Amino acid sequence: MRPASLLLIALLSFAFLPSGLIERAPAQEPPAPGGRDAAPLDDLEQTWHALNRLAFGPRPGDVERVAAMGWRTWFEEQLDPSSIEDPAIDTLLAARFPSLSMDLAQLWKTYYPRYPEGFAELPEEQRDRLQQNRNRQYAKVQQELHTSVLLRAATSERQFQEVMVDFWRNHFNIDQKKGFCRLLANHYESSVIRAHAFGRFEEMLLASARHPAMSIYLDNEISQKPLTKEELAVLDQIREKRMRDPNAMLGMVAQRIDRHRGLNENYARELMELHTLGVDNFYEQNDVRELARILTGWSHGWLGDAYESEYGFRFYPEVHDADRKTVLGKRYKGSTEEEGVLAIRRLASHPGTAEFISWKLCRYLVNDEPRRSLVERGAEAFRESKGHLPTVYRAIVLSPEFIDRTAYRAKYRSPFEFVVGALRATGARFAKVDDIGRRLARMGQPLYQCEDPTGYFDQTEAWLDPGVLVHRWDFALQLTLGEVDGVRIDAKVFDRWAKGPIEENRSAIIGSIVPGTMPERTAALLARAKTPRELVGLILGTPEFQKQ
Amino acid sequence: MTPNRRDFLKTSAVGVLGASAFPSPFVHALSKSADAADTRTLVVIYLRGGCDSLNVVVPYHDENYYAIRPTIGIAAPGTTDLPEGERAALPLTRGFGLHPAMQSLMPLWEQKLFAPIINVGSTHPTRSHFDAQDFMEWAAPGIKSIQEGWLNRYLQRTSTPNDHFLRGFSPQPLLPRALRGDYAVLAAPGPGSEVAIDTFAELYECEGKRGGTTVDPATTEEPQTAARGRRGKKEEIPERPPVTEEDLTGRLIDAGANTVTKLRHLNGILRGNEAAKKRYPRGGLGSQLADIAAVIKAGQPIEVAAVDYGGWDHHSYQGGSAGTQARMLKTLSDGIAAFVKDLGPARMKNVLVLTMTEFGRTAAENGNAGSDHGHGGFMLAVGGRVAGGRIHGKWTGLHPSKLNMRRDMPVHTDFRDVFAETLAGLYRFDWKSDDFFPGFDRPARQPLGFLREAEGSRG
Repeated sequence: MRPASLLLIALLSFAFLPSGLIERAPAQEPPAPGGRDAAPLDDLEQTWHALNRLAFGPRPGDVERVAAMGWRTWFEEQLDPSSIEDPAIDTLLAARFPSLSMDLAQLWKTYYPRYPEGFAELPEEQRDRLQQNRNRQYAKVQQELHTSVLLRAATSERQFQEVMVDFWRNHFNIDQKKGFCRLLANHYESSVIRAHAFGRFEEMLLASARHPAMSIYLDNEISQKPLTKEELAVLDQIREKRMRDPNAMLGMVAQRIDRHRGLNENYARELMELHTLGVDNFYEQNDVRELARILTGWSHGWLGDAYESEYGFRFYPEVHDADRKTVLGKRYKGSTEEEGVLAIRRLASHPGTAEFISWKLCRYLVNDEPRRSLVERGAEAFRESKGHLPTVYRAIVLSPEFIDRTAYRAKYRSPFEFVVGALRATGARFAKVDDIGRRLARMGQPLYQCEDPTGYFDQTEAWLDPGVLVHRWDFALQLTLGEVDGVRIDAKVFDRWAKGPIEENRSAIIGSIVPGTMPERTAALLARAKTPRELVGLILGTPEFQKQ
Repeated sequence: MTPNRRDFLKTSAVGVLGASAFPSPFVHALSKSADAADTRTLVVIYLRGGCDSLNVVVPYHDENYYAIRPTIGIAAPGTTDLPEGERAALPLTRGFGLHPAMQSLMPLWEQKLFAPIINVGSTHPTRSHFDAQDFMEWAAPGIKSIQEGWLNRYLQRTSTPNDHFLRGFSPQPLLPRALRGDYAVLAAPGPGSEVAIDTFAELYECEGKRGGTTVDPATTEEPQTAARGRRGKKEEIPERPPVTEEDLTGRLIDAGANTVTKLRHLNGILRGNEAAKKRYPRGGLGSQLADIAAVIKAGQPIEVAAVDYGGWDHHSYQGGSAGTQARMLKTLSDGIAAFVKDLGPARMKNVLVLTMTEFGRTAAENGNAGSDHGHGGFMLAVGGRVAGGRIHGKWTGLHPSKLNMRRDMPVHTDFRDVFAETLAGLYRFDWKSDDFFPGFDRPARQPLGFLREAEGSRG
């Protein structure tokens, strides 16, 4: 390297360092809001902050629009998504994504069509055709969900709804890779997550517990009461019989016992650890087991003949454990699903749940390390409103902590937030999302495919490993070049800036995508772009755009 | 007019930023490769979800085994007249067999390069996957304030100003938690776009960070800002100050700088590794192990590599000698065997492959031909320094009175004893004087001895 460029880099680094390294605050007590260097956010900053946290970033023109009406007014509107007109997305969804409004039986019939009677005897060619049709439909149901999730996040006017749906989607995570979750996820998204994200937590919790997708994902579908000693003895006989003759016929009772499964703790554990109380908070192993016993028989299926009746939650009393149980000091006994409903409702209203949910919401909406005062504010709203979620959101968002200087641009965009933010900032249009999906997977966040029931994390730590940034840079460049398959940025977006020389438009372009003045080093890079398109690609890859 | 792709690349990558100013990755490679011959490498394979241990190392001699595992139990070695599709365990030592799907590890067993460790795990009783994994990967059971990976901690404590770029590496999009922390470790699921790197290099790459370590532990403060306490209970940990924009910017620049330098370096090595991957099992783990092998074969002094293999939470239909767990165990074993073969005996002298999981499962099968979250687990050690052909750890049987809470496999060996022995035996790192494991004041009196005192070892 030439000495001159070394010098240049040294100067640039020095110019940059103060914000990044030198001024890093030493260990100390958390400064009170309004303390040192805590100039309150001005109106424009607050507007950007609201659009970055309560929406997936601004589209061109959003900042001006929201600033004009005041972000709090905008937020009140957003708190009631049903009041917001959005004919464009509603029409599109209704026309192109029929799976989203189907009930479960329709989903099965349409996207996993039954083979006709006598399938096995059909000519091979005909069988192949039927199979291919089923495979195509089964692929389509997932495509519809993924495309609609991205379309809504990127273009819906009900932005806060999309932001909160993303939160709850991760809170009540399911993995489409498991069993028929792939087919059922569309209904899960609409009937569990969307239906309740602006309702009561308790109802969302109950809806998730009863949904076949959750039942499959966390194995409750097969959790049944333990076999009695007598039944175990029968099972032994069956095994002996089978050793002698693998095809031995079994009587009715033996068949039932042979099919019988036992207790499965998986869902009961995550219901307390991840969905309500927080890990090892108030409960112990024995509570897990007892809660699992309460939920035995909670499963799913056709209510009558397969493909001819309703499909959904089913309670199977014959495998329900009707004996006495104790969970968190409360006694239960019963032979119906009612004791399970009661246990879940009690979990929803447990003070530990209010605190855990508030803490997660504060971390998501405000700061990776939310202040205790804020968490308590949210928990109190949760308790007092009996888990009415818009009330909790309002308490957190309209708090002084939300617009505290320390919260401003202090959260790192997750891969999903980055990709959707970039699509919005460029007003990109897209009809298929396979390539976007692959890119999200390379960034570590494939849609609806988080294996761990924790869901994807929302903190910086989870997404900022050295290496992964290259996929963001690549996306930034490829998006603006039109090289992300299926995604197109309207030429008009760039044309409106193309009239004069780039120098005259540069600040306007930058200012439409990221707030504030650019650090010197960033400004120097951006100054070298020769066209608006090039400039936008560079902006999306800067540290400034990764922050929200 | 829309500029075409070629124009854009030319202007943004070369014209605008002057990619020629950046040195070739091989300049670094050549300058440091002399160290590689000396380097010891630990490869951690983490089985996420809690892999059932009793069907990996099968205690077929224990009278309780078949009673509590009537459908998923695996037959003793040499059992004939098995139902169709079932296979018997492979003979290890007397009374213990290996899962039949793990046949490819048997030659390593016979060459004494492979040893299982049984009833190993955490001193903390949690049955949460996520806490159990965190505690293990931080090597700090029950301590939620640590939150940096033990492998990262090792890299920090042994860091010098001349560190090589790739002391640590994980071939996946996100680092396993054991590698997370202040020492910059590269996570890369394959090569990254050169154009993207060249375009943003100068913006992210800070002067003075081109050398090996990109985070200098000597000048970096205690991290106040990382998002910790994923789900930690607030009453246990004093309130942490909020993360600020300045904190985040600093981390972004660090991460970006490391992306540039380390990925450039790695790209040169991984390009053309496709042929080697054909000799590994298809799929994620095989391809990832092939990438790690490529780094070692390129003469890089890599000390720690880690990879996740998820999906072991077999609450249902785990299967016995065939089935879900069997298929995954085959992928695991075939992957390890291919890795050993790819590197060859000379290189394997300095490589230790350690497979681990957050906990074992219930001793008895559950009602769904699966098993629930348990306690004691297992590890598999493979490498030239392993005291192989033996089972390490203590076996106390399956009688209910010998189980943890009368249901799970007990923990007789603290995972920190294994980690400590690895640090001392593989790296000759004095973890005791370094207060490396917080609260670990009572290591086992006798080392487990799963590593041999290697003959001809230097130092």
